[in-house]
Amino acid sequence: MSNYLKTPITRRQCLNLLAKAGGSSAVLHAAGLFGLTATPAAASPVSLKPLMGKKRTVLILGAGISGLTAAYELERAGYSCRIIEASHRIGGRVMTLRHGDFIDELGAPQICPFDDAPNLYFNAGAARIPAHHSGILHYCRLLGVELQLFCNHNKNCYTQDDAIFGGKPLRIREYEADVRGFIGELLAKSAGADAKAELPFNAEDLEKLVSFAKAYGDLTDDLRYRGSERAGYASGGITAPGVLKTPRPLADLLRSDFAAGAMHFAEIADQAPALMTPTGGMDSIVRAFLRQLTSDIQLNCQVSNIQLLPQGVAVTYLQQGERYTEQADYCLNCIPAQLVSGIESNLPANYLAIMRQLGRGKLTKIGLQAKQRFWEQEDIYSGISWTNQDITQIWYPQHDAFKAKGILLGAYSWVPEISDRFAAMTHPQRLATAIAQGTKVHTDYAQHIESGVSVCWQRMNHMLGCGAVWSEALHKTGFALLQAPAGNHYLIGDQLSMHPGWQEGAVRSAWHALADIERREATRSKKYSTGVMA
Amino acid sequence: MNKARLLMLWRTALPGLLLLLSHSVAAQSQQPNAQYCLVCHGSAAQGNAAIKAPNLSMLPGWYLQQQFTAFRNNWRGNAAEDIHGKEMQAVAGNMSDAEIQQAIAFIRSLKPAAQPQTEGITADLQHGRQLYQTCQACHGSRGEGNAQLKAPPLAGQQRWYLAQQLSAFKNGWRGNQTNDDYGQTMRRFAQSLADDQAIDDVVAYIDSLASPAKQ
Repeated sequence: MSNYLKTPITRRQCLNLLAKAGGSSAVLHAAGLFGLTATPAAASPVSLKPLMGKKRTVLILGAGISGLTAAYELERAGYSCRIIEASHRIGGRVMTLRHGDFIDELGAPQICPFDDAPNLYFNAGAARIPAHHSGILHYCRLLGVELQLFCNHNKNCYTQDDAIFGGKPLRIREYEADVRGFIGELLAKSAGADAKAELPFNAEDLEKLVSFAKAYGDLTDDLRYRGSERAGYASGGITAPGVLKTPRPLADLLRSDFAAGAMHFAEIADQAPALMTPTGGMDSIVRAFLRQLTSDIQLNCQVSNIQLLPQGVAVTYLQQGERYTEQADYCLNCIPAQLVSGIESNLPANYLAIMRQLGRGKLTKIGLQAKQRFWEQEDIYSGISWTNQDITQIWYPQHDAFKAKGILLGAYSWVPEISDRFAAMTHPQRLATAIAQGTKVHTDYAQHIESGVSVCWQRMNHMLGCGAVWSEALHKTGFALLQAPAGNHYLIGDQLSMHPGWQEGAVRSAWHALADIERREATRSKKYSTGVMA
Repeated sequence: MNKARLLMLWRTALPGLLLLLSHSVAAQSQQPNAQYCLVCHGSAAQGNAAIKAPNLSMLPGWYLQQQFTAFRNNWRGNAAEDIHGKEMQAVAGNMSDAEIQQAIAFIRSLKPAAQPQTEGITADLQHGRQLYQTCQACHGSRGEGNAQLKAPPLAGQQRWYLAQQLSAFKNGWRGNQTNDDYGQTMRRFAQSLADDQAIDDVVAYIDSLASPAKQ
């Protein structure tokens, strides 16, 4: 341990060490200490007052994270909840695929062909949790969901772009070291005597700036970039002296879109280290909720009518061709807005008009089962390789190193046009495309891949999209309107958050609605106690 | 949730997998899963603008059958840009003949549903009425359709959908395939519409034909 303490280490290095030493709870605790989580461990984010004998019923439409969060909190306060779910499964877009799972894509149903093994799973929806998403982490902590670190940025992964180096993949560490070297050199040069007049710096400040440039680019004492060990040695480095790689020309590096895009991906607040993910698959969170919930959850119930009543909400649904109607004091509706707009209702016209204008998030993920963990032979354990082809990314599992097989993410695109192209293919065509494109990153890719799944979220039954797409204009005119209740009906889910597509958005939107119910119940109680009927 | 029960539930939800199943489970799946249609086309098959799914409830069985054929024959959903056509094409391609018959029967069992008013389209109804003179020979003076001529009813269809399909015929997404005779006929008429404004005008007129039914 003392060796580590001699040199400053990054938070992530430290969290990694802690993870090895103390497991996930140690990581979480430490993350709090580093100021990465907003909620102290003991804080209770929602405070629904217990009903104390009052009877209140709540219908929750949809068994994804927002619905499960709402049910959990409401149950604890004594509300009677019923969850109605349209699909065959619980979890919504928290979908971890394993051997034999059914993938209900419109027109392209699949059965997950992965081998039946605990390490062979694919998070086809939510896959990572930033440490500041304290809402969903609150439930992980509370419900005992074991977490492990998830890596978005691994310098040993590749960047591949047909525009540079003949399309050959380059290690991200080499690309970044060279770009930073050249930028450092430019900065050091521009911080020379001439800069003094233009910048409000004194001589000492300039000296500091030059020191920064030198450290940033790993420059030599004459402020030149001549290659860096950061790029990885061309040879040697352990029992023989390390030989630096020759820097690539800056103009060539910049010709790849990586410089202006993916290189900075892990700088995004929600994508930056340290990220986490539940051990064994994201649906550990769903299972943890289900261990606590006592509410009835009905699957295969497709809502066909929503009627706001003076004192509640009536919901009609179709199950196996039969229609059933249920009434409740409140309705928390997690159905994607693009589908709600097709459900008969007496919801206000302006409310429905906003829904009709929301876009459908188009995201595609492909999961591939590899016979061998060939990436480990290339010094890759977790992280993301980038390519300018449609597959965009290859993810390597952060779990189960050295096991016989593994599941890769073979494609992930959130660009609508790209996702449309995948959606237009048959499932075998999608896999063939993912393998052909992946071969530009890993030469023998095809011989390692033995099966796969493809999930085009805009085609998934009962979803028809992943995350609502709000235009800036629509957000201004419509967000507050949809977020507010219509009668006793609340539209919730990640679609009604600034974080569509994230579990945190789902949790927070549920909390937002619960806070409003709490406010209304408090008013109701007060009226009752003063003799005025609510 | 019991995993075995989950497995059973999803299997009953997918007629295409029946071959994999035991007879007892197969028996439960006799219930047509035509409610699948309603996910996109709306709970009364009235259409859903957000999904770009048309009103099916006002369409006759022969037309629904014809369009299933069109999707399966690649007459519709073939163009790379026709994203929504491709969605339906995938579904049609995955359905057996029996399932298609079940789905049509299910849709026909629903009451024709009114379509919601489309906001914010300005159109010249008089111009639309003039343009519709050409349409009415096949589609009827009240947009009621004509089974003999294989012309579907138009009145009561979602306005945005009619406009979208006129554009699709015009730009060759529909009516551009060798054996699609009815599609080819329609394409010639759609091409006679000068521009988007002409499309909006004729669609507004068609929409006005359905107005009495809406009240």
